[in-house]
Amino acid sequence: MGKTILIVDDSFSMRQTVGIALKGAGYDVVEAADGKDALTKLDGRKYNLIISDVNMPNMDGISFVKAAKLLPNYKFTPIIMLTTEGDETKKQEGKAAGVRAWVLKPFQPPVLLDAVSKLVMP
Amino acid sequence: MDMDMARDALVQESRELLAAMENALLEIETDGVSSEAINAIFRAAHTIKGSAGLFAFDRIVSFTHIVESVLDRVRTGKVQIDDAMLSLLLNCGDYIGALVDAIQNRTEDTEPDADRRAVLEKLLGAHLEPAPAVAEPTASSLATTAPDHGPGTEHIEGSGGVDSDNWHLSLRFSPDVLRNGLDPLSFLHYLTSLGRIVYLHTVVDTLPALSQMDAETGYLGFEIDFESDADRAKIESVFDFVREDSQIRILPPHSKIDEYIALIALMPEPGRLGDILVRGGALTEVELAQALDQQHDQQIGQKPLGAMLVEQQVVPEAVVSAALNRQKQSEDKKAHEQKFIKVEVSKLDQLIDLVGELVIAGAGANLIANRKKDAQFEEAAQSISVLVEHIRDAALTLRMVPIGEVFQRFPRVVRDISRELGKEIELIVTGAETELDKSMVEKLADPLMHIVRNSMDHGIEGTEARVLAGKSPTGMLRLNAYHESGSIVIEVSDDGRGLNRERILAKAIERGLVTPEQILSDNDIFRLIFEAGFSTAEQVTNLSGRGVGMDVVKKNIESLRGEVEILSKEGQGTTTRIRLPLTLAIIDGFQVMVNDEVFVIPLDLVIECVDLAGHDARHNIVKLRGEPLPFVRLRELFELPSLEQSRESLVVVQFGQQRAGLVVDRLLGEFQAVIKPLGSLFSGIRSISGSTILGDGRVALILDVPHLVQQTTQQQSLAQSGKSAGFLAHNKTVDL
Repeated sequence: MGKTILIVDDSFSMRQTVGIALKGAGYDVVEAADGKDALTKLDGRKYNLIISDVNMPNMDGISFVKAAKLLPNYKFTPIIMLTTEGDETKKQEGKAAGVRAWVLKPFQPPVLLDAVSKLVMP
Repeated sequence: MDMDMARDALVQESRELLAAMENALLEIETDGVSSEAINAIFRAAHTIKGSAGLFAFDRIVSFTHIVESVLDRVRTGKVQIDDAMLSLLLNCGDYIGALVDAIQNRTEDTEPDADRRAVLEKLLGAHLEPAPAVAEPTASSLATTAPDHGPGTEHIEGSGGVDSDNWHLSLRFSPDVLRNGLDPLSFLHYLTSLGRIVYLHTVVDTLPALSQMDAETGYLGFEIDFESDADRAKIESVFDFVREDSQIRILPPHSKIDEYIALIALMPEPGRLGDILVRGGALTEVELAQALDQQHDQQIGQKPLGAMLVEQQVVPEAVVSAALNRQKQSEDKKAHEQKFIKVEVSKLDQLIDLVGELVIAGAGANLIANRKKDAQFEEAAQSISVLVEHIRDAALTLRMVPIGEVFQRFPRVVRDISRELGKEIELIVTGAETELDKSMVEKLADPLMHIVRNSMDHGIEGTEARVLAGKSPTGMLRLNAYHESGSIVIEVSDDGRGLNRERILAKAIERGLVTPEQILSDNDIFRLIFEAGFSTAEQVTNLSGRGVGMDVVKKNIESLRGEVEILSKEGQGTTTRIRLPLTLAIIDGFQVMVNDEVFVIPLDLVIECVDLAGHDARHNIVKLRGEPLPFVRLRELFELPSLEQSRESLVVVQFGQQRAGLVVDRLLGEFQAVIKPLGSLFSGIRSISGSTILGDGRVALILDVPHLVQQTTQQQSLAQSGKSAGFLAHNKTVDL
């Protein structure tokens, strides 16, 4: 069974780049444009991993993570924050919300894929 | 720091590193492969990459990265160093040099030579492994070692792995690990992409009774024997995301311990204990940071880092003690080593200018002290002037650098040119530690390069010709430097065919430089090759023989107040000898007086002073202890009015092998002379090399002794060969 990853990012090109990298590694990809959009995609489908930006319109990444963690189906879904945000307080905020994997943009596809394969069982 | 300064520093540092890299490569070529040399090369590439990365000079980073990768494979013995590899690495060094030049010229955004880069990258790529295919993790590797959930299996001690040849990993995940979306199993799975899990024991000590168990909490710990070639940092990185709130302990296999110890023993500049362990691979940066934090938190009863690491079983004791030993060794050694500070040259120049002013002011104070006839004052002035002299000497040595800086570029040049010419030439460098003024070092490089090329191209014969001449097939080129009476002498010698006297003479006559009737000594003839437009090479190669060169060499050397001469024996070789003053700023002078004018002679060149009247002197030759010595009267030389003079003194000076006498009215004694250049107005005057300011503010002229010696002895030999050559007519006079 294919593994599905949800990508949340307001930048179309970023979603596309990440998507290409992940699809190339054999994952299925679902895209969402911001936190709010992403929540509508948490409709019971199984995601093996969520990759989310932090700064987004409508609903930011950390609020989205907090909201996702409240949904029983997604409580244990691993989450990678892929962001330009390197600020330590933001990281702490993310950590409190349950995020352990923080990858900084601009990212190297191999680095991201490496992180993904640490978190997703084949 | 100002970005421009940082950029300059980067350029300079990179150049030094490239030079070191080149030296190490050449060392490998001559002395064979040594791990020290390879490490030096690797470090140079690595440091250049790192520094360039700070500035985001991506072209240099990406190129150096490839070089570094290949070097890493050389270092680990996966790729052998052969001739082709050496040439490739040398060429890569050159290209990095071109990239560094681009940084200096602020054109770092354009590739200096894209074609060349492509070729080099292709050659380098051939030595790299193909990109590792994504390891398809085999399901069986996990299945066979599936976690044993049965409680009560025997507990494996943390140190158990040390005796085997496997890594031992001890993992205690935080209870929240699942809630954080991190599944321990996925990490174990990822681990298998680095190696094989030989044995896995599940630690269930914290597992509560079923009624109290929380399904969302992680209770399991793992003890794993892991077989892998990966290094410690790589294995640690598997647990990047869980490290913060879990206990991850990684123990190296037994063979690794020996490896760490061996690495630590070879480490060239060990630093602090933690750094040693990290660089040796026995400890990762993260573990070090954790340990240091922990140490910092313990306000009372802090333990040394080493003891802590051993106690917590992070690093085996044997490795820690090896590192401590190494650290001690290097501290002992460091005490003997020199330390350096980089200082801008302009700051030194400023200091030397000030010292110059101090010297002049000191001389003024001395003068006043002498006039006051106050013994205490005189004594005080005297001790100050002694100190000033020390300060002057110390300040001048600041600018002195070993000539090795120039010499070190020649091994590469000789190697490349000898290949190009198809000759076997061995370079011997001696006296590289001889010091001279930094400003001269820079100006010396080009002339030396030219002389060396000439020697290789025209001097040293091809292998066949050498064997026919009964010489060893390998030609010898020697660079030598030494100090000699206030000068530094630099010699370039070869054991080649020597200068051909007849051919030079024929050429000179053909060019109209001399007339056929002139009687010339060997030295005179050899000197002809310094004339502009003179070249005897029948075939113009792309190295030399274009007729520009030796005259330029001579001009360059003379602009440094130096002299160049050629000694040659046909069939045996040629030596080009350059003689330069040690410094260009302040000299110890000897004051003499003619009429009311004071002249200064560089003290280093003064041999002795005698009373002329006591010796047999005629026709400008004086008989001194049985030996004839040519002399010149400064009064006549500078056309000063004649005075009724009861007594004349003779100052004997020497330059190189030649001596001459200068006749003066009075000897005034030693004096520190700050050399002030003469303006362009005086550029035609040959007998004066500069001026200086005396303590009372008067200007004194510094005599150009090398020139005077030459003129005086030539005048003598011309006189002997019956040619009349008015000595004074050669010299423009200076109106004082």
